[in-house]
Amino acid sequence: MKTHWRILVVDDEAVMCESLAAWLREDGYLVDTASSGCQAIDMAQAVDYAIYFVDLKMPGGMDGIETLMRIRRLRPDASIIIITAYATVDTAITAMKEGAQEYIVKPCNPEEISLLVSRIVKVKNLQRENTILRKKLTRQYRFQDVISKSAGMRAILDLATEVASLPSTVLITGDSGTGKELIARAIHFSGQRAAKPFVAVSCAALAETLLESELFGYEKGAFTGADQQKRGKFELADGGTIFLDEIGDISPKLQVDLLRVLQDRTFYRLGGSEEVRVDARVIAATHVDLQQAIAEGKFRDDLFYRLNVIEIRIPPLRDRREDVPLLAQHFVERFAHELGKDIGEISEGGLKVLMDYNWPGNVRELENAIERAMVTCRGHSLTEEDFAFLAQNGARAKGWTVPVGMSIEEMEKLLIAGTLESTNGNVKDAAGRLGIDRSTLYEKIKRYEIPR
Amino acid sequence: MSYLYVGATAETDRDALTAIGAFFSVQFALPVRKIDLPSVDFAFDARRHQYGSIPALEMVYRLCPGDAVKLLAVTERDLFIPVLTFVFGHAQLGGRAALISLARLRQEFYGLQPDLPVLLERACKEALHETGHTFGLVHCSDIGCAMALSTRVQQIDHKRAAFCPVCSRRLPAGVTI
Repeated sequence: MKTHWRILVVDDEAVMCESLAAWLREDGYLVDTASSGCQAIDMAQAVDYAIYFVDLKMPGGMDGIETLMRIRRLRPDASIIIITAYATVDTAITAMKEGAQEYIVKPCNPEEISLLVSRIVKVKNLQRENTILRKKLTRQYRFQDVISKSAGMRAILDLATEVASLPSTVLITGDSGTGKELIARAIHFSGQRAAKPFVAVSCAALAETLLESELFGYEKGAFTGADQQKRGKFELADGGTIFLDEIGDISPKLQVDLLRVLQDRTFYRLGGSEEVRVDARVIAATHVDLQQAIAEGKFRDDLFYRLNVIEIRIPPLRDRREDVPLLAQHFVERFAHELGKDIGEISEGGLKVLMDYNWPGNVRELENAIERAMVTCRGHSLTEEDFAFLAQNGARAKGWTVPVGMSIEEMEKLLIAGTLESTNGNVKDAAGRLGIDRSTLYEKIKRYEIPR
Repeated sequence: MSYLYVGATAETDRDALTAIGAFFSVQFALPVRKIDLPSVDFAFDARRHQYGSIPALEMVYRLCPGDAVKLLAVTERDLFIPVLTFVFGHAQLGGRAALISLARLRQEFYGLQPDLPVLLERACKEALHETGHTFGLVHCSDIGCAMALSTRVQQIDHKRAAFCPVCSRRLPAGVTI
């Protein structure tokens, strides 16, 4: 796993710089060069190099030790190797005291450099894996984990940062796959409730009665099979945050129950007569236009106003295409570790395919596309060929032409299959796009034997 | 028609060139041609008593025939790059020119009896390795693959004179047999 780590070689002698860089490139690393300490600092500000080779003696006011100290301040996690042709005990001690990881005398044995770099990379791979695993384990995302450089997203993150410290209810809206839960988690883990639980509930995934018992819990004997008391998600989130995903899908009865919790902070467990008081911050999310749902009588306006104290609207990925390269590179690095693949970048052609694609499934679809491409990729970088499946999707989405001779049934089958594919198999979303009931869609899926 | 060229510098034993030429003919799908190259003695560094690999490789690149896909040069001289004590060979990553040195592939460099078959086998492996770099291959983590990094002659002896399946797949289509 070499290609993810970038190396900067800093030496005023061009031949020294280039020859070491070329040698490291043959070893599979991405290597840049700088001819002075000042240039190295500028480059370190722009790129997060993992390893720096810095020549000790450089003219122009900033020698190797000064460069080392400034890089250390800028990039404390980077490994810095001082190289010199004039080794003395004093300079070696100074370099090590200032945080150099190694001190090597040139010319050095090829084996020495090779072992040194592979040892550092091994440790860095383990450190990165550890960070990823920890984050996965706790899912304690913070705002700095939200990857974006779009001005619109930065404004959203600023707003979310402000509301993190408030107790107010937040409504996060946006298309499926835009990262609503990630923002909710960041709000929770950046606020005063961070040490308390964050409990996520997908309201769309459960039937009404099941969701009711999930949210509010039940008493022993409340229904057949309730052989002991169970605490609901609201109680589990006491002191912390409850995240109600797909709130637009809850039934009218649950809307009333939820309104009561939001108003009084109290509820009854199913089958219970004792009032339960909770202090849980509510963050709700939906991809549904709740204003329209209110107009259609499907959603209570009083609940909407209770939820919509602060609204955070996340734009779809197609409206912030500048984030595509950044997110794509992030996923490449993550999947390289997860899949054990030595793939570090996306070629110019590959990036063009990603930029041109419309991303109806948003960040989640991009994540899936990168994973799929990495599974089949044979090189060190993802190329346009690895994303050929996206071009097919895009062409299908743009130009839906019906071949002459196709029956209405065949056309319907194709339309349903295509819509399901674009919603990643989500029947509810597909039914919405097709303008039919979910039950009708299920019936058609069954009749046409469409795989999901 | 494009060719894969193998060339020997003026001071170099022709046995190695013949062996590499024959080896490349069965490894690569491209037709192989041999070429005579001038000496690399101009790249001698009196301080190090070695020959600069960078100027030598630049010379090889300049002498690439117009119909050459790649040119692999063989020299007897002990090569170095400024930051390292020596190199077995040097190549333009993804370029056209590559160069190997026989100096440290000979048993006599290590105080042993000369052994021509061992020398030729090592030369073929190094030639394949450096030519692999010109096709864009980087070092391979399979220590038995010709593209594995070798910093000691024992590591060259351990390698096979062939690319592993992963490196083979990374080569452009139609390059190998």
